[in-house]
This record gives sequence, C-alpha cells and structure tokens, in this order.
Amino acid sequence: MINYNRFCLDNGLRILVHEDRSSPLVAMNILYDVGSKDEDPDKTGLAHLFEHLMFGGSLNIPEYDKSLQMVGGENNAFTNNDFTNYYLTIPSHNIETGFWLESDRMLELEFSRKNLDIQKNVVIEEFNQRYLNQPYGDTILKLRPLAYEVHPYRWPTIGMDISHIENTDLDQIRTFFFSHYAPNNAIIAFSGNITPDLALSLSRKWFGPIEKRSLKPREIPVEPEQKAERILTVEKEVPATAIYKVWHIGSRISPDFYTLDLITDLLAGGESGRFYTELVREKKLFSEINAYLTSDIDPGLIFVQGKLMKGIDIQQAEEGITRVIRGVQNGNGIKDEMEKVKNKFESSTVFANTSILNKAINLSFFELLGNPELINSEVEEYRKVNQEMVIEATRKNFVASNCSTLYYKSIREEK
Amino acid sequence: MSILVRKQPPVYPVEKLIIPEARLFRLSSGVPVYMIEAGTEEIMRLEFTFRAGQVNENLPLLASTTNMMLTEGSVNYTSEELNRLIDLYGAFLNLSAEKDRAGIVVFFLNKHIEKVLKLCHEIMFCPVFPEDELNSLMKKRLHWFLVNREKVPNIATDQFFESVFGKHHPYGHQLDEHVFEGLNPSLLKEFHSKFYTTDSLAIIVSGKIHEKTTELLNNFFGEITSGKSHFETSGNSLEGETGKKVHISKPGAVQTAVRIGSSTINKRHPDYIGLKILDTVLGGYFGSRLMKNIREEKGYTYGINSCVSSLELSGYKLISTEVNRKNLTKTIDEIYKEIMLLQKYPIDKEEIIVVQNYMSGEMVRMFDGPFALAESFRSAWDFGLDNTYFYRLAEKIKTIDPDEITELARSYYNIDDLYEITVGLK
Repeated sequence: MINYNRFCLDNGLRILVHEDRSSPLVAMNILYDVGSKDEDPDKTGLAHLFEHLMFGGSLNIPEYDKSLQMVGGENNAFTNNDFTNYYLTIPSHNIETGFWLESDRMLELEFSRKNLDIQKNVVIEEFNQRYLNQPYGDTILKLRPLAYEVHPYRWPTIGMDISHIENTDLDQIRTFFFSHYAPNNAIIAFSGNITPDLALSLSRKWFGPIEKRSLKPREIPVEPEQKAERILTVEKEVPATAIYKVWHIGSRISPDFYTLDLITDLLAGGESGRFYTELVREKKLFSEINAYLTSDIDPGLIFVQGKLMKGIDIQQAEEGITRVIRGVQNGNGIKDEMEKVKNKFESSTVFANTSILNKAINLSFFELLGNPELINSEVEEYRKVNQEMVIEATRKNFVASNCSTLYYKSIREEK
Repeated sequence: MSILVRKQPPVYPVEKLIIPEARLFRLSSGVPVYMIEAGTEEIMRLEFTFRAGQVNENLPLLASTTNMMLTEGSVNYTSEELNRLIDLYGAFLNLSAEKDRAGIVVFFLNKHIEKVLKLCHEIMFCPVFPEDELNSLMKKRLHWFLVNREKVPNIATDQFFESVFGKHHPYGHQLDEHVFEGLNPSLLKEFHSKFYTTDSLAIIVSGKIHEKTTELLNNFFGEITSGKSHFETSGNSLEGETGKKVHISKPGAVQTAVRIGSSTINKRHPDYIGLKILDTVLGGYFGSRLMKNIREEKGYTYGINSCVSSLELSGYKLISTEVNRKNLTKTIDEIYKEIMLLQKYPIDKEEIIVVQNYMSGEMVRMFDGPFALAESFRSAWDFGLDNTYFYRLAEKIKTIDPDEITELARSYYNIDDLYEITVGLK
C-alpha cells in the first residue's frame, strides 16, 4: 500500500507526496501536460526539442545541471505523445535545491538562440542515432501514419520530419513555453525521505509565487473508426524480414484497458507466452515476437511485432499470428494461464514500486489520468479480469478491418 | 509577504556514508551465502554466481550458451514447463554470462520462496541441454547476431575489445557466422559439470529476508556435491593488437561510431579509485568535459561518455560516441584535446567541487535499496574487496587534490597507447 497526500496550490499546481523513510534520497517528478499530440502538423517534434531546451538555463540559473550536480543530484527527462516528464533524485537534506531549480524554469526560461541552435543539432543526431542508424529503426515513422489518419498520434515524438526541427525559431519556443508550461498545467510528485508538510511548505515558497497562465486550449481531432485493413510493404537491406501489426483500442482509462493488457501478457508475457511457445519454440517461424499496448491516454494501439526465421514465408508467419490470436478468441485453455499472468503482473507492480523514482513518476501519471489511487488499485483491476472478458475483448479488437500491417521485407542477398 | 529571492538554498555536504554490511554464512556444502537485509517490501533478490564466464571457455559462445540453456529443459521439466513455472510463481529470472562469471539472478515475492528455490535448484543443477532446443537457440542467436552486426556501435565495441585484448583471448575474440554451428549438447554438459560446481558458487541474498531462507538454502543447496572446478583459462595471453587505429567501413551508415581507449588497471590497484574520479571529470557524468564540449557546446552528438571498468585479468577505459561523419575528425580531435588539457592543467576549484558533490550523491544512490546494495556488493566482492573499498572511494572523493588528477591523467592516458576505432563512413 502506497500512502500519499495530495495538495493543490492556488495557482493550480498539483502536488503529491509519498513519504518513504527507508531511502536517504528524495525523488521529485514534474509532469507537464503537453506532449507531441499538442503540436501543429507542420511543426512536429517541438515538445521534445523543448524538453532539451529546458536544460539550457532559466531566468536566475544559467546552468541547471551544474547546480544540481553541486548537491549530489541526478536528473533526466522524457517526452511522449501525451506529456513531458522531468525527474530528479537528490540526497534528502539538499532537496530544497530541487524546488529552486524546478520553480525557476517553470517561471521562465532564458530562451537563448545559441542554446536553441545547439540543441537542434543534438536532436537531429538523436533522430539519426535512434531512427535512422539502425535496422528497423524507422518502423515507427512508417507505422504511425498508417494507423492514424487525423489524430496527432500519427507522428512520433521525435517529429515527422527533420526539417520541422531545423525550422524551429525562438518565437515558437517562447509561445510554446507560455501556452503549456504553467503551474496550472503541471503535476509534481515527491517520493522518499520527505514529509508531506515539508513538501507543501517548500512548494508554497518556491512555486506559490508563479502565476497561473492562460493555456492553449487542446483541440485534438478524433480519429475516425478504421473501416478497412491497411497494408504497407517496405523493402530494406535488413538481416531478416519483420512483420508489424497494430489494432486500434480504447483510451488509457477505458474499461477494457486491463483486459487488453492481460491479453498481451497471455500472448507475449515472457518465454511462456503463447506467441513464444507456439511460434518460436514449436513452429520455429519467428526468432522473436512481442505484443504490447501503447498505453497512450487517447485511444491507442495494440502492437504485435516479430522477426522471421530465415527461409520462412511471410504469409505462413502471419497465419501463425492469426492462429494464436484465434485460439484466445475461442477461449482455448485460457483459464489455466490467467493465474500465471496475474501473479506476474502483481510481482512486476510490487517490484516497480520498490524504486522511489518509479513511485514518483507513477503518482504523477495517475494524477494526470485523474485517479492517483490507481497506484494501489491497478493490481486489483487486473485481477478482476475473467475469461469472458478476455474472449469478448479479443473478438472486439482483433478484427481485420481494425488492423494495419507493415511488412518489412529483407532484400539482403543470400550468402 | 516578502519577495522571494531566487538564489540557491544552502548546500549541505553528503552525510557520512553508512553501508549495511553483508552477513556471511556457509551452507553445509561450504558455499558462501552473503545476506544483505534491506527494503520495506516482502520481496527478495537472490543471485547465484559461478566462475563460469567467457574467460573459461575454449570455444566461442560456450559460456553464454551453457548459461542460456539452463532454462531450456531439465531432468524433471521441459523448457516450456520451466518457463511456465517461473512465470506462475511471479518470479523474474535473469540468466547472465559475463566475461568472468556466469549465473542467475532471481527476484520474487517472499510468499513464493520455497517453490522458487526448488526451481532454481532444478535450473542450475539438473539441466539436460536438449539438442532440439540447442539448435533453435543457435538459430535465434545467429539472427540476433546478424541484426546487431548492422549497428555501428556494436561493431565498434566488439572491435575495441579485440584490439585491446587480442583476437585470440576470450575477452577479445569476435564472433562470425560460423561459430553458431560449432556447439553440441556434450560440449555444454562438459562445460556445465566443470564450472557450475559448488566450489565455484557464491550466493548473494538481499531484500526483506524471509525467516526460512537459511534453512531452505541448506535444504536445496547444502547437500550438493560436485567435482572440483578446473580453473584453466584458455591459455592465450592478453595482448593488444598492434594496429592502434582501425576503421571499419559501413556504407550507408548515418552516423559513425567512435571508440577510443585501452586496457588499464582494475579495482585491485590502489590508483583505481583516483582513476574513477578522473574518468568522471572526463566523461563520466552529464556535466563532464566531453559532454559539455562535444554535445552541449558543439552539438556534434546526442551523447558521449567515458567509463573505466574492471575485469578479473585486466581492466579498460573507453570513450564512446556516435557522430555525423562531417563532424568525425573534429570530434576525435576534441577528445584528444580534452585528455591533453587534463594532463596539462589542474582542474579548477569550482569544477572539482561539482564532481565531488555529484559523486558523493552517486554513492548514496549506489546503496539505495536492496537491489542496488546487492549489485554494489558484488562489484567489490568480485575482486576480493569489501565495503572498505567504497569507504576508501568516498574518502578519496572528498579529499582528492587537483594535482593528483593531473598526475593520473599523465600516467594513465598516454595518447600513444590509446586505440581508436571508427565504424561507418569516414
């Protein structure tokens, strides 16, 4: 059981505190409710580029990292489709420096042109490193626009095109900051060696004086229901052919989320999952195969992706996937496997919550979803899933007309 | 209400480091068990580690394949059953074969302890290495290998180890497609019976330790008798290749991978802790010289870092980055420039304080929670060291002198000794 207190300052800043005296550290997590889904289609990648700029100096602090290292702290950040998340861990007696640092960059950034130019380059190299310079790295760049026609999930967080990053100017950055970075658009969670009283009084001191800002209203087009199967084939010099299949699902808070999560665990939860057992171990169609949910806040996707063994026909491999899914749709032998995946879910949750940082990140995320209590109730929600729910959800979601498939064919010449 | 002055709150030094000691007891078979009590949740981490690493193999892939085959079939269970049981007990079992040691690490909820230990016994001491499973594992490994051979960072790191430790030594030998056909079950059985023995085993337990742990460990692992391990290493000496600069061309690569470094002292050497601090200044944290210069000031790369690392028979230091080819030469020049600056000028007061404070905080993180404690314990224990190693490090962080860092840079970063590996476009 994870106990926490929740506060809201007058300027709209939400604060959650979980005290864990067993750690000498405090983890501080700041979530801003802005992600790549909030970008204009012709200026994608801005939310993530902005995350980089957040380390380039703020109104009163020229060097964020140095000031944090000075107190033995460490930090990092990530951006996804839905939100931007900054986190740090600091030895507890120096935690006030965390408040000073984070409140200053919430107050105002330095907006330096030099920093913008350098970080554009860094992000372009990140784009190269992650998406272009490795086999299958560009998959997500191809799959998203296949699965989504209008919703901004159709582009990845890094951006649709490098030119969008190159063309960003300081005015866009300034506008972006004042329309999304604000106390009334942020959630801060603390976990570790800090009392709720101290967290609240320091929050009032450092964040309290920052005024509420008027936010850019979120107007996100709703993705229309997919009516027909979509297929894209690419040919590349990669070592093995791969198949990627995605199906649309509901939002993160839709009632069947846990059922679908459990289904992907039945299919691909470790080496005893059905995909691995039937398609890797028995039929030897794939060298690896995986299934997971995207966990996006707006309606997301189920992913199934696998790499084929040498000499296996792509159609035969795909039929294998379909056969395994049909097995779940028919409810074959599911009952025996339910206890297994539920036990595993329970222990992964317990293990994740041994880290003060994970607890702080999760508390912020669940608060964003509107229910921080999920940090304690998710295991129960998952345990409630029964066989009928699994069969129903599999039949509803895994339909051809709801599916997009990417065939990533290897054109390597055989040696 | 008074106006807040936004300046840095007082900075307090890190309190004196206190590391929980591991309690040692021995099973009736003589196997040492180190117990580290920590954490608030009813969970445990158990590590079984054998002297069964790559350094003991006389054929490529033998150590790692023997390790990976432990869960692929045993006297009482098929591979499918073993994997199902691990998941049914909600356990996480990691197989690992490193350069010097190999074994398993298992994480579980305390309520499942008895079933988990029984299963661990089955996995480590009763494997049967079925031929079918071995064949499909080797096919899969060949696939993974081929995919990894497309990634310039992987090619560069493999070449770095070959250059530094020699192509005939297990630390340095590189794989090619043919070695994936060279293993059979009897080779694995032989390796297993030679090296997965009680006299090469140590157990590290951490978490909220279940009251029945000693009793259960003795039940399952107290009676095992096995032959003495034969600790022959491959016989090849560690000897770096003669060519210091190696370029491997990879047409179409969007970035070029750079690896610069050489072999060096390991944790047993008294200078090692000073070298750790020097390495941190150079490339060991986000505010390092390399990161600041090459990423934050020039924007040549998404990341650049350096590390020093210890092996049983040696150690190495390594600088790694991936850059656009048009910045390749400039990047390499800047790397050498940063090393020379460290050799020439003592680092200034402000920078050393940042590094001292950052590293002191890092040491707190190294001992935060049962998993971090166990990992840190092993990182010293592997070299016959105990917590005094960490206390020495903590003390050195506080007291190191700028001239000492300059001196270390001169002794350990001779630029002519460094290997320079580039993979991609030149």
